Amino acid sequence: MAAVRFEHVTKTFGKVVAVRDLSLEVAHGEFVALVGPSGCGKTTVLRLLAGLEELQEGAIYIGERLVNNVPPRDRDVAMVFQSYALYPHMSVFDNMAFGLTLRKMPRPEIERRVRQTARILGIEELLKRRPRQLSGGQRQRVALGRAIVREPAAFLLDEPLSNLDAKLRIQTRAEISRLHRQLGATFISVTHDQTEAMTMADRIAALNAGILQQVGTPQELYDHPVNLFVAGFIGSPAMNFFEVKVAAAGEGLLLEAGSFRVPVPRERAPALADWNGKTVILGIRPEDIHDSLFLPPGLPVSLVKAKVDVTELLGNEVLLHMLVGDKPFLARVDSRTRAKPGQEIDTAFNMSKMHVFDPASEKAIA
Amino acid sequence: MKRDRGWPVRLLGRIPLHAIVVAIALLWMVPTVGLLVSSFRPAAQVAVTGWWTAFQTPFQFTLDNYQAVLTQNGMARSFVNSLIISVPGTILPLLVAGLAAYAFAWMKFPGREVLFTIVVALLVVPIQTTLIPVLRLLADAKLVGTFPGIWLAHTAYGLPLAVYLLRNFFATLPRELIESAYLDGASHLRVFFRMILPLSVPAVASLALFQFLWVWNDLLVALVYLQIPSRAPMTLTINNLVNSFGTEWQLLTAAAFVSMILPLIVFIALQRYFVEGLVTGSVKG
Repeated sequence: MAAVRFEHVTKTFGKVVAVRDLSLEVAHGEFVALVGPSGCGKTTVLRLLAGLEELQEGAIYIGERLVNNVPPRDRDVAMVFQSYALYPHMSVFDNMAFGLTLRKMPRPEIERRVRQTARILGIEELLKRRPRQLSGGQRQRVALGRAIVREPAAFLLDEPLSNLDAKLRIQTRAEISRLHRQLGATFISVTHDQTEAMTMADRIAALNAGILQQVGTPQELYDHPVNLFVAGFIGSPAMNFFEVKVAAAGEGLLLEAGSFRVPVPRERAPALADWNGKTVILGIRPEDIHDSLFLPPGLPVSLVKAKVDVTELLGNEVLLHMLVGDKPFLARVDSRTRAKPGQEIDTAFNMSKMHVFDPASEKAIA
Repeated sequence: MKRDRGWPVRLLGRIPLHAIVVAIALLWMVPTVGLLVSSFRPAAQVAVTGWWTAFQTPFQFTLDNYQAVLTQNGMARSFVNSLIISVPGTILPLLVAGLAAYAFAWMKFPGREVLFTIVVALLVVPIQTTLIPVLRLLADAKLVGTFPGIWLAHTAYGLPLAVYLLRNFFATLPRELIESAYLDGASHLRVFFRMILPLSVPAVASLALFQFLWVWNDLLVALVYLQIPSRAPMTLTINNLVNSFGTEWQLLTAAAFVSMILPLIVFIALQRYFVEGLVTGSVKG
């Protein structure tokens, strides 16, 4: 039995379709991240589950219970809002105890739960403070604590890290993951940051324009994106795309872009057999493009001569902004590279990691 | 590089503006000061000389006027009546308007916007046009001359503005705060009393001040709907003093100041919220 199930859910705001025919299951104890660009409908999905929006079509189940017409307070879900939504006129203790008080839980039990949760989150000394006396990270932990004490069927997190600085974000990512393991609870998190989703989630559901594009483990979405959108959204820096033509070359196939040509690996050729003479989109991740002078051993590569436009030193690696003809692309290369802006170098494309997409439907071919 | 020319120069630069502001304030206070001075002058002096002559020798001030006002003509009783009318006449409209404003701001129901427009549109209806129809309604309900009747009247008259102001303020409260309370298990009533009201103290307090002052200083509604002398508020009693005594200005001035005391105390107690309420309203539109 799934913890949460969406069946053909559609939500519109006037003429705008925010969520279209969404079907998705979240298992008990699973951490699922809903990712997508702003306006893709991911927060709307969360709000539909929380009961803060009404759906036009479809059904939402929490456990075995159909909750379409169940008010938010009876759905047994706890939400951590992007702004944390702490009650400013209450102390941290009262913020965390509020939901339990409303449910008429005995006072000793409320005290026990709140203090135990505060201990887990490291906020015991903050219980008497008001939200305005807390830092951003502390407020976030109080918001999490307020959800945890309720022991809900599902935790809903709306952009939990977006208000934190970069360093705190990394620290909190790990804390949330640890919390998820510790509690064994169902987490559904919304984020526009694919790194956040990749690092925290058991599975990712990628949405675009209200439509579910792909659901799978982070590795599945990374290795086998089903369309251009998922391929370009997952992975940082984003995948490079080239418009190329499939051409026969002896017994094999070539991908020709005008300014370069690369062979199709033998094992990938059958998938492209029907595309001979046609235009396709070649996708290749920056981490699969190397400086030919510093290649990992045994890697099957094809050389492409390109000009270095800009270099970005990151310490452990270098990002090279390249131009092949007039087509820009990004390569993540070994930090020993001697490439300088204006230089022409041989980049090595690892074609075993290539992705090919149909330009019309944008779906993956190979 | 500019040098700081120091506080004496800054002070001199501000003197003209301060002088003008002080002059305007003093000018505004002249009638009230005159009234206050007259209230301490004997009847014989008030009848023949202006109040400004009171500061010339021989100084003649007396407390007789206040004594007369407080012990005769039922002024003490009227003060109590004013309290009995004003306090519920403030609390009831605020409670009803608050609940209505919450519904308009945070609840979804068909016709919400139309209903709100109708309520606000009632602001344009002059009280005078409603006097007879409402009097008939109260008569049918046997509430004419009763305190509940006048409470209901003040509640009805105060609702349009109160609903309008409170709804606009409630709508500016963070949505996620309210939604968080829903998810925590709060019903609409709980959200109203545990979230909305505590977070709306400036708006509610400044509206309470307006409503209290309006009800305390009301003459027309009391004149039409109360009609029983023993239940007359201070405004009605003072009005009757004019009729009874014609030119006994010294009693009228004393009565006016007696009736000002409580509103003045309320205003001083709530003025912080009044200013906050004004500023908040202006910033959040």
